[in-house]
Amino acid sequence: MALLNIAEPGQSPLPHQIKRAIGIDLGTTNSLVAAVRAGSVDILPDEIGVMMLPSVVNYTDVRRPLVGAGALSLATQHPADTLMSVKRFMGRGSRDAVADAQRSHYHLADGEEGLVRFITSSGERSPVEVSADILRVLHQRALATLGGEIDGAVITVPAYFDEAQRQATKDAATLVGLRVLRLMNEPTAAAVAYGLDAAEQGVIAVYDLGGGTFDISILRLHKGVFEVLAIGGDTALGGDDLDAALAEWVLQHCGSPALAPGQYRQLHAAARAAKERLSDEVAVDLDLTGVLPSGGAVQVTRETFDSLIEPLVKRTLGACRRCLRDAKLDAGIDNIVMVGGSTRVPLVREAVADFFQRRPLVDIDPDQVVALGAAIQADILVGNRSEGDLLLLDVIPLSLGIETMGGLVEKIVPRNTTIPASRAQEFTTYKDGQTALAIHILQGEREMVSDCRSLARFELRSIPPMVAGAARIKVTFQVDADGLLNVSAREEITGAQTSVTVKPSFGLSDDEITAMLQASFSHAVEDKLARQLAEQRVAGWQLLDGLNAALTADGEALLNEEDRTTLATLMIELQALLEGQDTAAIHSLIERLGRQSETFAGRRMDKSIREALAGISLDSLDDEVMQ
Amino acid sequence: MSLPELQKSYFQLFDLPENFALDQAQLGERYRELQKELHPDRYASGSAHEQRLAVQYSALINEAYATLRKALPRALYLLKLAGMSKEDISGQKVDGSFLMAQMDLRENLMMLDETGDPEAALEHFVTEIDVDVKQLHREFSRAFSAGELTSAAGACVKLQYLEKLLEEAEQMESRLIDNQN
Ligand SMILES: Nc1ncnc2c1ncn2[C@@H]1O[C@H](COP(=O)(O)OP(=O)(O)OP(=O)(O)O)[C@@H](O)[C@H]1O
Ligand SMILES: [Mg+2]
Repeated sequence: MALLNIAEPGQSPLPHQIKRAIGIDLGTTNSLVAAVRAGSVDILPDEIGVMMLPSVVNYTDVRRPLVGAGALSLATQHPADTLMSVKRFMGRGSRDAVADAQRSHYHLADGEEGLVRFITSSGERSPVEVSADILRVLHQRALATLGGEIDGAVITVPAYFDEAQRQATKDAATLVGLRVLRLMNEPTAAAVAYGLDAAEQGVIAVYDLGGGTFDISILRLHKGVFEVLAIGGDTALGGDDLDAALAEWVLQHCGSPALAPGQYRQLHAAARAAKERLSDEVAVDLDLTGVLPSGGAVQVTRETFDSLIEPLVKRTLGACRRCLRDAKLDAGIDNIVMVGGSTRVPLVREAVADFFQRRPLVDIDPDQVVALGAAIQADILVGNRSEGDLLLLDVIPLSLGIETMGGLVEKIVPRNTTIPASRAQEFTTYKDGQTALAIHILQGEREMVSDCRSLARFELRSIPPMVAGAARIKVTFQVDADGLLNVSAREEITGAQTSVTVKPSFGLSDDEITAMLQASFSHAVEDKLARQLAEQRVAGWQLLDGLNAALTADGEALLNEEDRTTLATLMIELQALLEGQDTAAIHSLIERLGRQSETFAGRRMDKSIREALAGISLDSLDDEVMQ
Repeated sequence: MSLPELQKSYFQLFDLPENFALDQAQLGERYRELQKELHPDRYASGSAHEQRLAVQYSALINEAYATLRKALPRALYLLKLAGMSKEDISGQKVDGSFLMAQMDLRENLMMLDETGDPEAALEHFVTEIDVDVKQLHREFSRAFSAGELTSAAGACVKLQYLEKLLEEAEQMESRLIDNQN
């Protein structure tokens, strides 16, 4: 596939107009930087010709951090000062990161707003700062190789990264003075690297199995426009889990001895080494030195390994099936692209080929393909290429919504919506005289607030006092091309307005996100029953609250004694039912009480709207209508 | 930068006649053309103001595309253009026999787990609903072109029921996929 030929002859801009743009793959285990030069895209090596920079930073020397292979070599000597796999901590709260930290032997401190910080010999460091140190090295490398200031960078993130993780990544780049042209989803970048032949048309699936995450994306390329149709995945499934499966088997094979933490680490390292060799050999010896006092080795055949990892590979195929369904294709997939170190495992390749009925494309090095795609996109965004070039239309991975009564989430922008996106929804007050509305923004697929990720909260104030249900509050979600969210709320009658750029300050662990996603599928029925009961309870309490307030305010004036008694009897009955679980009974009583109080509500509504509009001049009313 | 006028309807935005029947190829073609001009990527090195505008316009086009591409949102949008409010539409009464049939279908769906081959049964279920969906599309199309807005709205309400059912079928499918693993 013609990857390297980008500019057509005679099309490239004059040399003095060419801007320097780079693509960065900020990976869990390794990071790379790439750029388009003289019409071809390549990885920029360091001064001794090495392309991959291990995503490891050591802070033992207080004068300056050591990044990459040098830091990696200090990992056993200075475990707490040598930070690895920091990507897993990006945008995560310390509460959620504890398990990961224990596994990695880090010391944590509570940072601002509950964000996690690592304690090192040179002081505290946040994951954003550590990532910035990695980015700084790549930035320097680009400056040296490209010979001048960098005009902009595209940085890749896993498609399943949420708001907090995206924002943290952008912050890291800002810390080193890099201008971020775009955050780009890793699988999309891989598709761009492969799809460069703009003449090419068709549907591409990108299967990305890295060290810690699995992503699947389905895209359509049509006349230079790349449309992401659906994405799916698992933020806690990767090469690490293959290592763990093998390590577990070895332990059982040796009679399940109790191991010290150091021995565990050694076992996992040995398992990983054996796993990687099994990609080329049919049987290998797994070295037990440092694992068991007796040392020695155990033989692992590829057959054994395959049987161990089969359930994990099947899990990725489940995600593929869901993604295919979400993409709603009329025909099949034309090409399947493999990304990530773990796609070197033969069983993974075979299973994927079998599932999609296509031989996967592996022409481009799976370690490099993401950075190469990012560099191409950076070159386009910075304006080096002519009009009519490749355009990318990406989607959001997780639904965005707000909390409504009873701890329920109302989805406003569903997952797989093309970005940029703007969606508005109207809400109303639920209490008489309510002048403020708390808005709680959430991300996730489940129906209850407690099962989704909280992104931000804000309040819309100065709503004019009206009866419950009369105010019209329009909440608008705007998601930009980086997948970052901005929310505004506006009361339509007075124009009271407020907005926030969502910058989440606490979060969930990857395991929790995966669990959330899986649970959203398997708990659908349970959710529904819980939701129905919760809804009916909310409706019931709302009705009671409303009627209570209304009766106190206008009961005497607008109703006769008999009507008041009838209402009160029903209200007491409903109150008793609300303590129980009988959804249907609550529902039918609400209906009855609603009908019973209809006339009363109508009389009050008339009165209240007349009062609310009384203070507003006709001019300002016109303004509202115009907008 | 040429901007689409917000006063235009989504159909005008895509140079399409205001019909239920729609040329998907042209819709897609025009969508890509518009995004090629207005997407924020085209203004990545432009001013902050340009970028903000691009986000807004590009989002508008995405919304318009999403509305027209699928039958039910397109039908609802046509009714809106014809002056019907959400309440007008949701207030349409659905006949009892349709509701009874819905209840039966939902029950069947919930029992699919227990059949010998739930996947095949689910596929059959979805195919059958699709037949009803197509029938309602024809009904909407006929009623709408004849100017019978009330019966067109009635067809939409029925479609909403079926859409819900299909959503539930999808959740069921996800559960089946999970259980296999
Ligand atoms: N030859 C090989 N055979 C099997 N697995 C391999 C091989 N080479 C590398 N891997 C595995 O690939 C994983 C690292 O992949 P990669 O570098 O793509 O991840 P990453 O980009 O850092 O992570 P992520 O994409 O999850 O952020 C490790 O689990 C490693 O053991
Ligand atoms: Mg990667």
